[in-house]
Amino acid sequence: MPPKVTPEKDEQEQSSFSRQTRKVADLFSIPPPIKKLFDRVPVVVYPPNQLPQRAPKSARIPSLYVFSTSHDAAAGKPSFNPSCLKWQTFLNIAGVDHRLISSNNHASPTGSLPFLLPAVHSSSSQESLLPVTSNKFVKYASDHGGRVDESPSMRYEAYQSLLDHRIRNAWLYTLYLEPLNFSAVAYPLYVFPNSSNPLVRASIAYQLRIAAEAELLKHTSIIDTDDLYSEADKAFEALSILLGDDSWFFGNDKPALFDASVFAYTQLLLDDSMGWKEKKLCRALRTRDNLVQHRERLLVRYYGG
Amino acid sequence: MADGVDTGDELFESLRKQVDPKKLEEKVKALAEREAAQSAKAAQRLGELIGSNSSLPVTISSIRLIGAEHTRRSFLDRIFNPILSANKDKAYTLQEALQEVGSAADKLRRFEIYHPSLSTFIDRPDPTDPNSTPTDINVYIQAKERGRVSLKTGTDLGNVEGSAYGNLTWRNIFGGAESLNLNASAGTRTRSAYQATFDTPILSDPDKRATVDVLASSTLKPWSSHEEVLKGAGAKYSWATKSGTKHQVGYTGVWRQVTGLAANASPTVRTDAGDSVKSSISHTWFADRRNHPFLPSRGYFVKTVSEIAGWGPLQGDAAFWKSEFEASGAIPIPIPGKKGDSGVSLTGGLRGGMIYPLPIGFGSEVKPSRINDRFTLGGPTDVRGFKMSGLGPRDGPDAVGGDVYAAASANLLMPFPRVGKDTPLRLQLFANAGRLLALQDGKKSTSRSVYGTVAQLGEGIPSLAAGFGVVYAHPVARFELNFSLPLVLRKGEEGRKGLQFGVGINFL
Repeated sequence: MPPKVTPEKDEQEQSSFSRQTRKVADLFSIPPPIKKLFDRVPVVVYPPNQLPQRAPKSARIPSLYVFSTSHDAAAGKPSFNPSCLKWQTFLNIAGVDHRLISSNNHASPTGSLPFLLPAVHSSSSQESLLPVTSNKFVKYASDHGGRVDESPSMRYEAYQSLLDHRIRNAWLYTLYLEPLNFSAVAYPLYVFPNSSNPLVRASIAYQLRIAAEAELLKHTSIIDTDDLYSEADKAFEALSILLGDDSWFFGNDKPALFDASVFAYTQLLLDDSMGWKEKKLCRALRTRDNLVQHRERLLVRYYGG
Repeated sequence: MADGVDTGDELFESLRKQVDPKKLEEKVKALAEREAAQSAKAAQRLGELIGSNSSLPVTISSIRLIGAEHTRRSFLDRIFNPILSANKDKAYTLQEALQEVGSAADKLRRFEIYHPSLSTFIDRPDPTDPNSTPTDINVYIQAKERGRVSLKTGTDLGNVEGSAYGNLTWRNIFGGAESLNLNASAGTRTRSAYQATFDTPILSDPDKRATVDVLASSTLKPWSSHEEVLKGAGAKYSWATKSGTKHQVGYTGVWRQVTGLAANASPTVRTDAGDSVKSSISHTWFADRRNHPFLPSRGYFVKTVSEIAGWGPLQGDAAFWKSEFEASGAIPIPIPGKKGDSGVSLTGGLRGGMIYPLPIGFGSEVKPSRINDRFTLGGPTDVRGFKMSGLGPRDGPDAVGGDVYAAASANLLMPFPRVGKDTPLRLQLFANAGRLLALQDGKKSTSRSVYGTVAQLGEGIPSLAAGFGVVYAHPVARFELNFSLPLVLRKGEEGRKGLQFGVGINFL
């Protein structure tokens, strides 16, 4: 009766095979007496050690790491960096409660600020403690009960590109490559806080200017100052026409991410405390009354004036 | 003819037979013995000769160094002028003269610009020379200069790190034993390191050295989720005291960057990310009276390091006073009924350190310590039974370091059964403990916070681990494989249950 014999044999083979695999597994697993010993230690466990003094105090709300001074950060004032200010304003608009931490690019997972560090809760998993980079802020805000009303459209993209290219390029030029502005504005904001050492400051200042120049040369072969400023002027004009007599862009009844994006530049160019020395870009903006008022509105609404 | 062939064969046979290994060995042995006896006799004869003439008055009229084309005259003058009789008030005996010449030759050897086999000859000047007196001797030292430029590549073992390096040394640059050393290395933890060191003896004294160096490096610190990039320069002066202890004082200025953070880096590490400059003066002192650097069975080792950074004219971005102390000792343990050295020894070690924060420059605001200045503790080369930097304050996945620490260990080393005590192999039983603490917050003054933290070291049982293992002292490093159990720890501290492997040159 061969058909009967075969399954029996199979069973035997299988059991011997599983026995063998168990043997191999046993070789790598901890033998029971040692396992018992391991389970017994440590014999005494004390409460954890206290953290060093510089460690940030833990908070129940997420932390937004931005370019700022520690004083301004504690007061929740606008950041002096456009992309930080854009997302700071966005989170304020969306009503996502956060605290600001004055930081620098080395702290960021992407190499540039801002980023958000979620608050530590006892229930939070390892995954939810990872930093959130700015491109995921919209999703983060809507996941965490923020009022997010973003309706992407073709028009939106076109105007966003005005900000991301023309105005940003003029901004980079006016901040880093206009010598007067660099020493009066960029140097104290971006170089001073890093170190008190003159050599280190000189090296960082040089790196900043080189990086700005490289960024501008990505799109053109020579840096034409007049062209940069006139492009920015045209962009402001376009934005001014887009806004018209409305309170917020695209005729919305409340501000959204695009308003934050515009505010990021208008606030910094119109803020007298920035101390601009070469004001070509500021003047171009000041002639657009509705943009000036748009900035005022956001400033009063989200930064208390 | 046939006879001739026969004898030829016999000769051949006899020649072949002679290759009896036993006989050959005996012959070689006898030869060596004869040679040894001869040289011993020669040495004895020379000794007797010198001995019988030891009180012979001599004057050293000249010293000639042969084969040192690249060495400066002014450099050699400082070594030889003081022992020339013309510069001495009193006459030498032959023995004294030989001693002086010997110590001068030893000095030359220690500059490491000549091959170590320096030979000394003594000659009497021609008595017909009107310039010479009957007691005059001339000394000749035969030296061979080492290659002036050497290039070396290889692998290195440091504390818990393996690396490959390339090294270029330019010796005796200006004819005064100055050297320039260029070093580039990359390793398991050090991603890259470049260092240039210029070193020169001061006043032709091999025990007094001045060093200037510049360095650039990038090191991964996985236990605190970041990479540290350093660029710096320093100057040091080191000297040895008569009793054999060594000192070093130096200034270091270094630009540190905490960068390349891991995705899950803790807020404490993120706060310290970025640039800082440390400008500091440090002093190191040590006395090493152990009989072996890696496997001592008797003797002691004491070391202190003190550093002041940022305070007053030093400036920079970090200001503190930092002190570290390290002591270790070994005693052989005799076994009753066994004559002589048993090979069993007990070694003990103690380490401690403290950071006292100071105001930067002439200011008054005290800045707390940064992650790159704080101490770390734990790992196979200090407190065994804990992971690398496994002791002390932790923020999430990161060891963030502490400002005050103390650690101690006791090891019982025993020779392997049947292998013997003369091999560099030992069995060890160990117990070690340590505490690493951050300065207490919210105290009225810095000093209170420091004293409070130091007092806190004694609270409760220190974090403790014990175990056993095998120690192997290789000429370049000490290897340990231990089975360890952490017995006491603070929540968050990372113990290592089971096997732990350690390689290093400096063990607790």
